[in-house]
Amino acid sequence: MSGSTVDLSAAAKTPGTRSSSQPGAPRRRHSGRVRWWVYGILILAALGSAFPLYWMFVVSSTSTAAATQLPPRVIPGGNFFHMVGVVFSTVPFARSILNSIVIAVAIGGGQAVLCALAGFAFAKLRFRGRNVLFLVVLLTMTVPAQLSIIPQYMIISAFNWVDTLQGVIFPGLASAFGIFWMRQHLASTMDDDLMGSARIDGANSWQIFWRIAFPIVRPAAFVLGLLGFVSSWNDFLWPFIVLKSPENYTVQIAIQALQKSYTVNLGLAMAGSFLATLPLLVVFFFVGRRLVAGIMDGAFKG
Amino acid sequence: MTVTTSSLARLPRPLGRIRESIPERFAPYAYVAPFFLLFAVFGLFPLAFTFVISLFEWNPIGTKTFVGFDNFSTLLTDPRFWNAAGNTLSIWVMSTVPQLIIALGLAHLLHAARLRFANFFRMSLLIPYITSVAATAIVFAQLFDTHYGLVNWVLTLIGGDPVNWLAGRLSSQFVIALMVIWRWVGYTTLLYLSGLQSIPREMYEAASVDGAGGWRQFTSITVPSLRPIIIFTVITSTIGGLQIFTEPLLVNPTPALTCGAARQCQTLTLYLYEQAFGDYKFGYGAAIGVALFVMVVAIAAINFALSTRLKGSH
Amino acid sequence: MRSKSRLVAVATVALSITAALVGCSSNDSNGASASKDFTFWSFTGINAKADVQAYEKAHPGVHIKLTEVGSSTDTAQALTTALAGGKVPDLVLIQGADLPKFVENPDNFVDLNTLGAKKIKSDYAPAIWSQSVASGGQVLGVPTDVGGMALSYRKDLFAAAGLPTDPAAVSALMPTWQDYLKVGKEYTEKTGKPFLDNAETSIFYQMIGQGSQQFYNNKTRKLDYDNATIKTAFNTSVEAVEDGLSANLTSFSTGWSAGLQKGAFATIATPSWMLGSIKSNAPDTSGDWAIAKIPGSSGNWGGSYLAIPKRAAHVQAAWDYIKNSQSPTSQLNHFLDSGSLPTTVANYTNEKLLAKTDSFFSGAQIGKIFTESVAGLKPFYVGPDSAQIGTDFQNAIINLENKKVSADQAWSSALSSIKQDVAK
Repeated sequence: MSGSTVDLSAAAKTPGTRSSSQPGAPRRRHSGRVRWWVYGILILAALGSAFPLYWMFVVSSTSTAAATQLPPRVIPGGNFFHMVGVVFSTVPFARSILNSIVIAVAIGGGQAVLCALAGFAFAKLRFRGRNVLFLVVLLTMTVPAQLSIIPQYMIISAFNWVDTLQGVIFPGLASAFGIFWMRQHLASTMDDDLMGSARIDGANSWQIFWRIAFPIVRPAAFVLGLLGFVSSWNDFLWPFIVLKSPENYTVQIAIQALQKSYTVNLGLAMAGSFLATLPLLVVFFFVGRRLVAGIMDGAFKG
Repeated sequence: MTVTTSSLARLPRPLGRIRESIPERFAPYAYVAPFFLLFAVFGLFPLAFTFVISLFEWNPIGTKTFVGFDNFSTLLTDPRFWNAAGNTLSIWVMSTVPQLIIALGLAHLLHAARLRFANFFRMSLLIPYITSVAATAIVFAQLFDTHYGLVNWVLTLIGGDPVNWLAGRLSSQFVIALMVIWRWVGYTTLLYLSGLQSIPREMYEAASVDGAGGWRQFTSITVPSLRPIIIFTVITSTIGGLQIFTEPLLVNPTPALTCGAARQCQTLTLYLYEQAFGDYKFGYGAAIGVALFVMVVAIAAINFALSTRLKGSH
Repeated sequence: MRSKSRLVAVATVALSITAALVGCSSNDSNGASASKDFTFWSFTGINAKADVQAYEKAHPGVHIKLTEVGSSTDTAQALTTALAGGKVPDLVLIQGADLPKFVENPDNFVDLNTLGAKKIKSDYAPAIWSQSVASGGQVLGVPTDVGGMALSYRKDLFAAAGLPTDPAAVSALMPTWQDYLKVGKEYTEKTGKPFLDNAETSIFYQMIGQGSQQFYNNKTRKLDYDNATIKTAFNTSVEAVEDGLSANLTSFSTGWSAGLQKGAFATIATPSWMLGSIKSNAPDTSGDWAIAKIPGSSGNWGGSYLAIPKRAAHVQAAWDYIKNSQSPTSQLNHFLDSGSLPTTVANYTNEKLLAKTDSFFSGAQIGKIFTESVAGLKPFYVGPDSAQIGTDFQNAIINLENKKVSADQAWSSALSSIKQDVAK
């Protein structure tokens, strides 16, 4: 669900000219110094963005009773590592992190490669049915994921993939948004002359793809992979339906399993949620700049 | 969809001049084949099958009877369907309008030259995007808890009465809209920022020479230049908004599938899910899905019309 | 006409393709696993792992692949999806409220009579056993436990309000729901605090389980929910809400859990399995609680059944588990360990069971109190829409508690919801 929202909002983009979007490039609209209140508002926005994560940490570091005390507690307590221990002993959390990594890497990487290849064909090669096929892709981009769950489940069962990681991975690979994204990038960034001269040199389309097209779109493919990684890491409904055994849980399912049916344990739920987000935060720390640049690069520009 | 449909018209001219060998002629199909194989099996077939199911009274563990379009005529007179449609619409309005305005403002601030820590601010705005919806829902439900929530505590501090947020219609939808805004405002800000950066500086300079002030510049240069991307974010948030599911499912657990005892925040996809998986009425659930699909296509069509007009006006 | 028949044709083809696809998978028996092994879907939070491990220990060579799917509702939904077209478990736990939908479609399950259920039938309480028997006589499940009812109350809060605290005295104080309301009003007037957690479960749901008929006519099995029993239960709940006796805290919500810890209410209708929930939600209140008889004296909330889906690969292994783990002796041991009440009648007179007490609840005689509440149970027919109708009534009471509907409208709003739900 979050996934579909991601896809659709991100679908709003065609790559534009790349000249203007280098983050940090000097642009001088206002001359003079930035006012203090601009920083004030931006700092507030940054705090607001991080607040729920901080709140998860606060609640998971206090006792259950403290989670509902008035006035609410806003300073972390010393209980966090105890809670982490409980998380790891209640569900196979380490295993579920591994599963999530496998799934998210496979989906992110798979989308990047598959969509780059197909996007290349749509952008730069001529074949019968090209426009029709592309239109079909665009139309299905708008369909809510919940709609097809039942038949999808039947198919997964037919392959005997219920309760397997591939049952989550394969349906996630075919991203309509991804193919759209890659096609637009290739159409606008790869010069047709470049292809023409390669053809004359005797290169076939396979060689052109790997030697010319892929290097050009690699940054875009990387960002596409990142987006796929994030949305499959956070996906809940489909893995919940497909995966049944604790050893196959993803982190999102593991968090759910932490919450016992008739007992409310906010601290435990929040600790699980925090731990489930932590790996993404680490990834984000290293590639956040590229993600920001990629989203802005892919932005729609008239 | 704007871009998508309009860009079809300007698909790049393919290179056909050089005579292609036989394997070369089939190469494009080989490149799209892996994608379309997966797409057909896990995307297209399930979708088509949903249409089939919608023509049946389909109990997944019982009988399946063909009923033609009965499910659809029931749908038209089903108050719960219209309730869900209304809720979806109002959550969409409450989440989209403020989101776009806030994003525009933030983008404007981030666009300032000589802004220090610009990358830090940009990255921090993306944190909500990487936080899972499930985790966010738990946090928001707790913040807005009637008796022990932070929000009500602050309200009573400043002399207000505590609000039973999740029980009320507007108030529960407000909480959901807030989650959506929080999650997407940073992403939208980056899109607008990128649009702002492509507006040539000379336009502002010329306007300044003509004596146009800051607000005038904003309304006569910034907004018109961003118009395509603004329309775009409206469209995409509409499509995303029509599908909103996890937020209402997880924020109001009593009872979850109806998003409250009075169905006060039940959205269309949640109603679909309730009918199909809560009540085992797969046929009816599929019919709701088809109705949703029609709405989405209608919006895409409106979008297409809008974008053509926009193009024509230039 | 023509297009319609074409649609049918297309649909039929598509259906048969899917059926064929699904059929392929179901023939595939779970690969390498030995015939003694089997898969088992259960709920979270009921410590199914301990039962499974105990069984494995007693039966060397048997490996049970346990999945704690989620809440009882999650588990029923997962089972439905699996039955609709997926790999089914060999054994599954189904909660009582979810059972009727499955009983209505008995072909999805192995008729346990074919495995010898007739031989063990007499061990179980008839009113409970009969819930899993389909109209064709097929037996779908064996009852694992029953949610016998009692009233948990806070001794300290009762004392502060000048009420008696001794279980026998409290039981004698409110034998009927009218008495319960009277005491509640007294308590609320004196302390200014609510008397119970919420009216929809602590009053309404209890009262409708105490009659000889619920939402269906027992004989005709036709819907009959607009009757005196239901109306009395509803009006009693409305009265409690109107007089401010309800804390309006939905069961198992965050606020409810916090309310347990803080003594936000003095009484709560408690099925036997909820004792564990109170302990884990409010561990610091140990010794503050005691247990009296439930007003109206009988009741059942919850209770589950073990069933074997038809396409299960290891039917015999699953049946062996059922027979063994639900024998009178096993159920007795299970009760002594975990407190979930047996469904086997012989245990209701067992001395060990009757002597069981719980120190968290001030040494309450839980064995005796819960057993007595089950003995008074009258069997009534539970139909496919029973759960939904109950939810609609409860939602109306919640809406009243949230002041979203007036007391006059509550009943009619519930009826109109139900009408829509039971319409085919």
